[in-house]
Amino acid sequence: MRKLPFETAPQAEVGDELQFHLEQRIRDYIAKGMDPATARATALERFGDVGGVQRECTELLVDDRRAERRRDWIGDLKQDLRFGVRAAMQAKLFTLLAVITLAFGIGANAAVFGVVKSVLLDALPYREPNRLVRVSGRFRDGSSGLGGLSVGAAKDLADRQRSFSSIAIFQGATAQRVFKGDGAARMVTLAWVQPRFFSTLGVVPAIGRDFRDDDALSDTSWSAMLTHTAWEQMFGGDPAIVGKTFQVNGITRTVAGVLPANFVSPMGEVDVFLAMSLPSLMRDPITVRGSHNMGFVARLKPGVTIETAKEDVTGISNDLSREYPRDDGPFALQARPLRDSMVGDTRTPLLVLMASAGLVLLITCANLAGALLSRTISRRKEFAVRVALGAGRERLVRQLLTESVLLSLVGGAAGVLLALLALTLMRRLALNALPSYVHLALDPGTLVFTMLLALCTGIAFGVVPALSVGRTNMQSVLRDETRGSSESRRSRRLRGVLVAGQIALCLSLLTGAGLLTRSLYTMMTTPLGFNPDGVLAVDVQPPVKAMSDADPMSRYYSQLEDRLHAIPGITAIASVSELPSARMNDNGLSIEGEPPPPNNQQPFVTYASVSDDYFRLLGIPLRSGRTFGPEDRPNAPTSVVISETMARKFWPKGDALGARIRLGPDAASPWKVIVGIVGDVRNDPLSSQPQSVTYVSRRQEPTGNLTFLVRAQGDPMAYAKRIQAAASAFDPDLATHNITTLTAYLADGLAGRRLPVVLMTGFGVLALLLASVGVYAMFAAMATAREREFGVRVALGSTRQGIAGLVLRQGAMWMAIGLAVGLVGVLFVGTMLRNLLFGVKPFDPLTLVVTALMIVACASIALLAPVRRATQVDPISVMR
Amino acid sequence: MFSNDSGLLQGTLELLVLKTLSWGPMHGYGIAKWIESATNDVLRIEEGSLYPALYRMSRRGWIKGAWGVSENNRRAKYYHLTAEGKRQFQEQTSGWQRFAAAVTQAVGTVTAPNWAS
Repeated sequence: MRKLPFETAPQAEVGDELQFHLEQRIRDYIAKGMDPATARATALERFGDVGGVQRECTELLVDDRRAERRRDWIGDLKQDLRFGVRAAMQAKLFTLLAVITLAFGIGANAAVFGVVKSVLLDALPYREPNRLVRVSGRFRDGSSGLGGLSVGAAKDLADRQRSFSSIAIFQGATAQRVFKGDGAARMVTLAWVQPRFFSTLGVVPAIGRDFRDDDALSDTSWSAMLTHTAWEQMFGGDPAIVGKTFQVNGITRTVAGVLPANFVSPMGEVDVFLAMSLPSLMRDPITVRGSHNMGFVARLKPGVTIETAKEDVTGISNDLSREYPRDDGPFALQARPLRDSMVGDTRTPLLVLMASAGLVLLITCANLAGALLSRTISRRKEFAVRVALGAGRERLVRQLLTESVLLSLVGGAAGVLLALLALTLMRRLALNALPSYVHLALDPGTLVFTMLLALCTGIAFGVVPALSVGRTNMQSVLRDETRGSSESRRSRRLRGVLVAGQIALCLSLLTGAGLLTRSLYTMMTTPLGFNPDGVLAVDVQPPVKAMSDADPMSRYYSQLEDRLHAIPGITAIASVSELPSARMNDNGLSIEGEPPPPNNQQPFVTYASVSDDYFRLLGIPLRSGRTFGPEDRPNAPTSVVISETMARKFWPKGDALGARIRLGPDAASPWKVIVGIVGDVRNDPLSSQPQSVTYVSRRQEPTGNLTFLVRAQGDPMAYAKRIQAAASAFDPDLATHNITTLTAYLADGLAGRRLPVVLMTGFGVLALLLASVGVYAMFAAMATAREREFGVRVALGSTRQGIAGLVLRQGAMWMAIGLAVGLVGVLFVGTMLRNLLFGVKPFDPLTLVVTALMIVACASIALLAPVRRATQVDPISVMR
Repeated sequence: MFSNDSGLLQGTLELLVLKTLSWGPMHGYGIAKWIESATNDVLRIEEGSLYPALYRMSRRGWIKGAWGVSENNRRAKYYHLTAEGKRQFQEQTSGWQRFAAAVTQAVGTVTAPNWAS
């Protein structure tokens, strides 16, 4: 099935053939006595349409050649595969090890890619999700991340913009309210959106109708949109739910529709969406521009790019800052793709993981290339015979590539199984660290990616050994029999480079893993400023009847506290409006007697409303002044306790006690007096800097929902049931939820940070293992190849130590080169990780040295066996 | 049907090409000439359909072309039968013979059917 040796262009070939026919015909006519001109004309006439026939035949020939090439190719491939399988079966151990190595390398990539794809690449469940934009607000001085915008600003932006075809404003925060169905009272999460919210996203309710504009207008309609989960959990999936009514917090709502099951809300978990009217929100002159708690989502007009929209929004934002310097001065509005706002801060860790997995795969490739190189050297004879029997070099290279691709495809298939396992694990480990729209699964896209990756891997690690065969002088191989002394300098250097490469990659990866591990360790061990051990946290949501006024509300809480205190074993109880976290309520701060800060520099501080025992229960020390007590009555001047950091920052002279401050945008609100200073608390475990915190008394400023903290004897979780029972007995309409220990709550906050650490460390260990195997394999092969040389050396008087030194020197050289190159990789890794690090610098000498030592130790262990073997060469047996 | 200047049925042309090549390799012109002389010029090959037929048969793997040198030292493409071509030739020959015999018998019948009056 060989190709024709001289294949001409089809058209020329057909032309030649027809030309020959015509010439023959003319010749015959002339032989019969015609004159040449007539002969020619007659021949042409007899033939008919020469051009047409030539075209038709050319087409047929082109087709034929293509089919033949395909047949050839498939035939060769079949043969290569047969040889490949046979070769793989002959070296079972090698094949097994190679497949395992590949399975880990490819599996790691498949798993990480599966996550990356679902977080960063898959389409959001909206119509044309790439045309959706979210506008957020932030402080111009960069002191906060992206957050909400004020109602006023949102309205102005909606009126002035020229980039969006559809806009929906919504409450940036969701709220939890009590829902009492047939069973016990439970919490549901409510979100308020403009009626056009779903049509802007391009989501159509699965049951019922979308919100209409008049849903927000009338104060009597109270339409609600249920999410699919809420529909199932609150109403048992009642198919005739539309039009039915239910009560949340004592307000009757009518179900307008149910959203599709795959709907994902841009503001996190939501059960019920309610239609919101902008004008009613704009009635309060203080919050209209002063509270920045609105979300803004919009669809780009056809033909408008995101860049244009960004400029549009920035322009309007700058105008607003000029027009309303007091409120909008410090704020800037910023547009970005909706996906970016939903991906949040998982992008960097994911890219880091993808890069780590890539490094593991590179190490795998280098490793297998080395192993394959040794194998091709030991198979030189086989190849020489095949060349002698007429196989072309190119054919041989192809054969070897087929073998390596075959290996990598099998490895890839095994890798897919590993990835499935890994994703199952990750679903448990990491789901709350990933955006809510993520579905971790190996979809067809990931499978295709994995198989392509396997293919490329096979070519990548197969190409060097394959080419080295193409270069070998086959005649000398055949003639030389066993006399082939040492392996060539070239292949020795090639293997050295492969080992050095593995060590370099390994150093980069392990250093990265080390940096992340140190960060996580520092995060977990840096004092929080309070003692979370043995504390149970319970969120409670009182029914609306208890929330009428500050005084009865505070009394309600005190009575509840007394009930809980009566449970035997509970030693202390306190409450707080919000558990310490990265996203606590911020309020603008003004200080009496100080000039109002320039418009764009108003400071913001964290705010919490606490019960008297809060500081004692959590062990937050009092530095000076007092904490809250019975004297902080509802009608007395409001007392404030502030954190040390805040005292130092705003009253550097130490005169914070007795100073008066005002919190929030309302310039007419009464002053609050600072009565005490307490120790710092790290709200955000991901940040080393404690924030400025102001505490007010629950008695003076109670909040709608709060968290009870309970300290008890023994395992705090054991009290969960009793606490719930006591709360229900106190008031059946009171909902309790999110019962957890404070330590578990804090660990949850770190889950997002733990994922990359765990995975990258796993990858690092894998890389170290692979690199050690690589070092072992290289020097074992080298020792074997130089056995004869060592024998001669021993015979000539070289000592065992001398031989050992020879091997070790070579090993040390390649290792040193690897470590040196690895330093460059460390620079890259450090830069990439910079934003994920905590309490450790991107270029941390300690991490680097420990990592390097670890690699050297592992490599040295891997070197032991080959060195031993080299020193035990028996000169007589090798030279005989 | 088989008047002097009529065209050939596709299958018939292919069978004749196979027959020609069963004597040995030959180029397109030689094939045309042989068919004409072997049928006493009754079947005049339409040259415009001979070459596409040759290419089609190559594609089916019945014949194979290879460049050689003609009697008068000119480069020419010679076709030869493949194993598959030989098999086809056997099969089609016997098929044709059965067909021709049947037609001959029918056409040569002298006893009129009973509906003929």
